[in-house]
Formats: sequence, C-alpha cells, structure tokens
Amino acid sequence: METLFLDFFHNTGFFLCDYRNIIMILVGMVFIYLGIAKDYEPLLLVPIGFGMLMGNIPVFKGLGLGIYETNSVLHYLYMGVTQGVYPPLIFLGIGAMTDFSTLLARPVLMLLGAAAQAGIFITFLGALALGFTPHEAASIGIIGGADGPTAIFLTAKLAPTLIGPIAVAAYSYMALVPVIQPPIMRLLTTRKERLIRMEEPREVSKREKMLFPIVAFLLCCFLAPAALPLLGMLCFGNLLKEAVVTERLAVAARTSIIDSVTILLGVTVGASTQGDVFLTTKSVGIFFLGALSFCVATACGLLFAKFMNLFLKEKINPLLGAAGVSAVPDSARVVQVVGQREDPTNFLLMHAMAPNISGVIGSAIAAGVLWSFMS
Amino acid sequence: MYGIEAIAKYNGWAISAVGVSIVFTGLVLLSLSISRIHKLLDLWDNRNNIQLFKKKVVEAPKQELPPFTTKEKASARQFHLLINTMDDAFSLQRLLHLATISGLERPHSSLEHLLKARIIEPDHQGHYLFNREAFDRFVS
Repeated sequence: METLFLDFFHNTGFFLCDYRNIIMILVGMVFIYLGIAKDYEPLLLVPIGFGMLMGNIPVFKGLGLGIYETNSVLHYLYMGVTQGVYPPLIFLGIGAMTDFSTLLARPVLMLLGAAAQAGIFITFLGALALGFTPHEAASIGIIGGADGPTAIFLTAKLAPTLIGPIAVAAYSYMALVPVIQPPIMRLLTTRKERLIRMEEPREVSKREKMLFPIVAFLLCCFLAPAALPLLGMLCFGNLLKEAVVTERLAVAARTSIIDSVTILLGVTVGASTQGDVFLTTKSVGIFFLGALSFCVATACGLLFAKFMNLFLKEKINPLLGAAGVSAVPDSARVVQVVGQREDPTNFLLMHAMAPNISGVIGSAIAAGVLWSFMS
Repeated sequence: MYGIEAIAKYNGWAISAVGVSIVFTGLVLLSLSISRIHKLLDLWDNRNNIQLFKKKVVEAPKQELPPFTTKEKASARQFHLLINTMDDAFSLQRLLHLATISGLERPHSSLEHLLKARIIEPDHQGHYLFNREAFDRFVS
C-alpha cells in the first residue's frame, strides 16, 4: 500500500515540479491578471496565460499529455500553429472586420506602414549580430511587425523551435503597446507636431472598397508570392465583407471562425511555453530583441512621417507614424490618446487606422520576403 | 560568430536592404494604384462623354422608294378610302380584313408597300395612323 502511495506521489505534479514550471505558471498568472484586470488585449492574454498554466503542469512523460508528445491532444491542436494553419484563418477574420476606407481616402498614409516595417529588418540585423542563425533572426525580426499571427506563421516556417518565446514576446508587446509606444512618440515629436490636425478624409464609394482587396491581393502577391497565405486570406475576408451578398460568410469569418482560432492559438501557444523548453538564454535574447524591434518600428514610422512632412503641402500629424506597426487597432488607439492629451478636440483615430492597416499588409509582405529569402 | 562579422557572413546587409525595398515598393505601388481607383471609376461612369469610348453610329444610307406606279397609286387611294371609315388609330388586321372583303387586288402586298412608304405608321401602342403628308407625296 505504501508502495502504491509512493508510486502515485511520484506521478503527481508536486513531485515532478521544476522551478521553471513555477516561474512560467507565475508568468501565466500575470498574463491572466493583465488581461482581466488591466484589459490589455484580454482576448489574447487570457487564453495564452491559461495555456501557460496548462503547459506547465508537470506531467509524467510517455502518458501523451504534454504538448510536445506526439500522441497528445494538445499536440494535435498545436499542429495548427506549427503547420501555419491558424494565422491565415485569423487574417481571414481580420479582413472581414476591417474597413479600408481611411486607407483608400488617403493612400499616402500607407507609406507610414511601410516605414515601420524597417524595424523588422533592423532587428534582423541585430539578431544576426547577437549570434542567432539567419532563420532565427528573421523570426525574431518579425516581432517588430507587431503582428502575432504573422510572427507565428513565419516562425513556424523558419524556426519552429522558437514559436513559444516568439509568440509570447509578440503578443506581450502587442498587449503592452499603450505602455511602450507613448514615451517614444513624445520623445520624437514636438508639441507643435502633435497638435497638427488632419484633413477630413473624402467619402469612399462601395465599389472602391470592393475593388481594393482584389487590387491589393494581385499586386502584393505578384510582387511577393510568399505572402500569399496571409494576404490572400486577409483580402478574401475583406472582399466577403464588402461584397455585401456574402454577408453570412463575412459574419462567420469575423465572429465564430476568428474566435475559435484565437482560442486554439492562444491556448496552444501558451501551452508551448513549458518551463524546460521556454526558459533559456535564447528566450531572454528574443524578449530583448523583440522589445527593441517594437521600439525601432515605432521610431521608424514616426521619423518617416516627419520626413514626409518636408515635402507635403498638407502636413500630417507625425504621431500617425507610430500606428505603422500593425497592432490593430491598439497602436491607432494609442495615437488617438497621445494626440488628445495635447488637444482634446483633435481626433486622430480614423486617420491612424490607415497606416495601421497598411502595417498589417506591410508585415505580411515582409514575412513573405524573409521566408522566400531563407527558403 | 557575432557582430558585424555575422551579419556580413549571412548576407544580412543585402537581405535587409532588398527586403525593405520590396516592402516599400509593394506599398508604394499599392498606394498609387488605390489612389487612382476612384478616378478610374469616375472615368468608367462617364464613359459616354469620352470620345474614345463613344460608339460610332453608322447611319444606314436612306433608301428612297421608287415612285408609285399608277396601279399602286390606285390601290393606295382605295386603302385611303377604307381608312377613312375607321378611327384615327386603327388596327392593321382590321384594315387588311376590310381590304380583302372589298376585293382589293393583292391586299397584303399593297399594305406592305404603304408601310414602307410610311403612309401607314405605327403609333407604338398597338395601332396604326394614316400619314397624310406621305400620302400626298407619293400618291397625289
């Protein structure tokens, strides 16, 4: 009886527990706290946080319970991440809920989204300099795109072993946009610049909105075919939304499909952060470079907006440049908040959505470009 | 391997430069394209006003009918008499019936001739009208 009891005890989490599991469980709890109490990206942080708890319950190897055991249920669900299935489905939903009107009304703002993608390539260089392999460096660099699904998609293709830390870093920084971006925005702009008011955008016709996803898809995918899975689904989702006759499909894409996939993605990415796999020096480097990437991308967008102002007759508010990172719609919201701190009657949100959405397209192209270079 | 040496070894500078260029090119091209969409749509909507898209109407050469022969003129006068017995807007079928029972020679052929000469014209409401002007021109 004593032996049975001891056998049972040896199989419990209390016995198998490692200090790394405890650390990750605490991190998971912080994520859940930030999501619920602070309302920082709750739809992402709560599933990821709970996934961390699930992934860090110490289990007896061989029972088919852990996410890295080939016969476990979690492993099957995780295949959606490792095979790059979930990110395009999330892009389908994003497309079906995004209104491209502001972008169509003022296409020049699209350049801000392009400028912010420079952060990806600067971080790529930084990661190479720190000793990461080119595949790992490309996956780390894409964190600067501030686009979780894109980061996961590229990492799944190039450096699958780093999916956990990269996904957690990408989503953490996306959730921390309201904390990370404002100091950089204030540092790189003057008060006078932050007070610039944007002109009212022109009205965009329904036909323009319907043509946009087709034109954008054809043009971008002919230029960078590797962006096909992400941009294809993004544009398809948007066409479903704008075509009106496919409203039922659009509703499904922007509600049930994206919600289901977000749950599966969040939980499995969280569960992939098993202490023994996750807590390595590489992960620390990834978190450091991810933060750097995010800051550089924000700075590139801001500085490019100032550069554009040298040539534009109607000046643009350089704060919009910070929305070039594709954390939709958080970075656009941050622009609005920072702008309104200077002038409460200045509404920048709808203008900021243009570079924000172009950032999504830009980061998908950047991911495609990096993937094709590394393949 | 670390630092600049690692970047150079893995071709990092070139990858970054080309990568940024491609992203910029893609978004600049997209930006240029979408800035033209509404203009192209306007152009399409007003295509009828553009000379290039205007359909050239090829006017068919007017075929002048040969003058009525004496026989045809007589037949036309008889039809005129029959039409006078009817309302202003009359049925072609009724006219043909009257012509047949009145013993007019080749009523179908004569009626067709009057239609070609526009002496009898449709009122576009299912009936026909007598055109005095055309009658005077061909018959009188």
